[in-house]
Amino acid sequence: MEIGFIKKLINVIVSNDNEQTTGISDDELVRRFTQLGDESSFEEIVNRYSDRIYGFALRITRNTSDAEEVFQEVFLTLTKKLHTFRGDSKFSSWLYRVTVNTSYMYLRSQKKHENNISLENYAPYDEKGTLMGRIMYKDWSSRPDIIIFNKEAVVIIEKAINELPESYRTVFHLRDIEGLSNEEVGNILEISIPAVKSRLHRARLFLRDKLSDYFYEWRR
Amino acid sequence: MFMCKDVVENIMGYIDCELDLQTLKELEKHTGDCPECMTFVNTYKRMLEITGKLKNKPFVTPEIRNRLKILLKSKVKPV
Repeated sequence: MEIGFIKKLINVIVSNDNEQTTGISDDELVRRFTQLGDESSFEEIVNRYSDRIYGFALRITRNTSDAEEVFQEVFLTLTKKLHTFRGDSKFSSWLYRVTVNTSYMYLRSQKKHENNISLENYAPYDEKGTLMGRIMYKDWSSRPDIIIFNKEAVVIIEKAINELPESYRTVFHLRDIEGLSNEEVGNILEISIPAVKSRLHRARLFLRDKLSDYFYEWRR
Repeated sequence: MFMCKDVVENIMGYIDCELDLQTLKELEKHTGDCPECMTFVNTYKRMLEITGKLKNKPFVTPEIRNRLKILLKSKVKPV
């Protein structure tokens, strides 16, 4: 990448309003940036994906300082490697993949290893396969939205998500928060679709239990 | 015989409308007869509503964005 070009690029990166690029597809933005040197296209990529990249990095690292380090490294990487995007997958999937790799490399460099506990046997039923006496007494399903969606509940669910082992946390984030398909999540994390479904299933069971505990305690 | 365990293990398929007709019928019959499973399904759906609300949560502050700009500047070396 030419130095002069990067200088021009960083001068536009803080802008949030660019009418010429907001309606353009990701692939076209990449093409304009890599082939035509259109820095406003890079600006639009930054605007579109900053929250998602930072949010995903924060989900993996669980630390705002680490997440910002990853966030910065991802955009630095983009300025150098965006031309390597071939369009074989959606640009967003490619970008999430860059974020995953950057996060793992960063955590390794910081020697921040997480013990990845398996939740494969996590289930709410007893050894006989029944839920008897385990669910109803913590029923919070009819609580009004004003209680369910308050700020404290959001803090609780964020905390609960962060208690998930990393391999379940990343799947849950991409699938249920970002709303990606099983196929996209599998491509980004390089795991099979059955593995995506399995991890998502256990993560959801874990989180339902955590929320039940919270709302049950809250009522007392 | 369809059990609570079967409701739990088929809940994703149920939510995503991916169950075959026979499994769907058995799940709905069991859930209709089992208040524990009915509560499980209802709280599971509520949990998905809550986590779905996290999608639009803004993360990047102007300060974070500005620090990105400064970093990129610092990486550009004079020719």
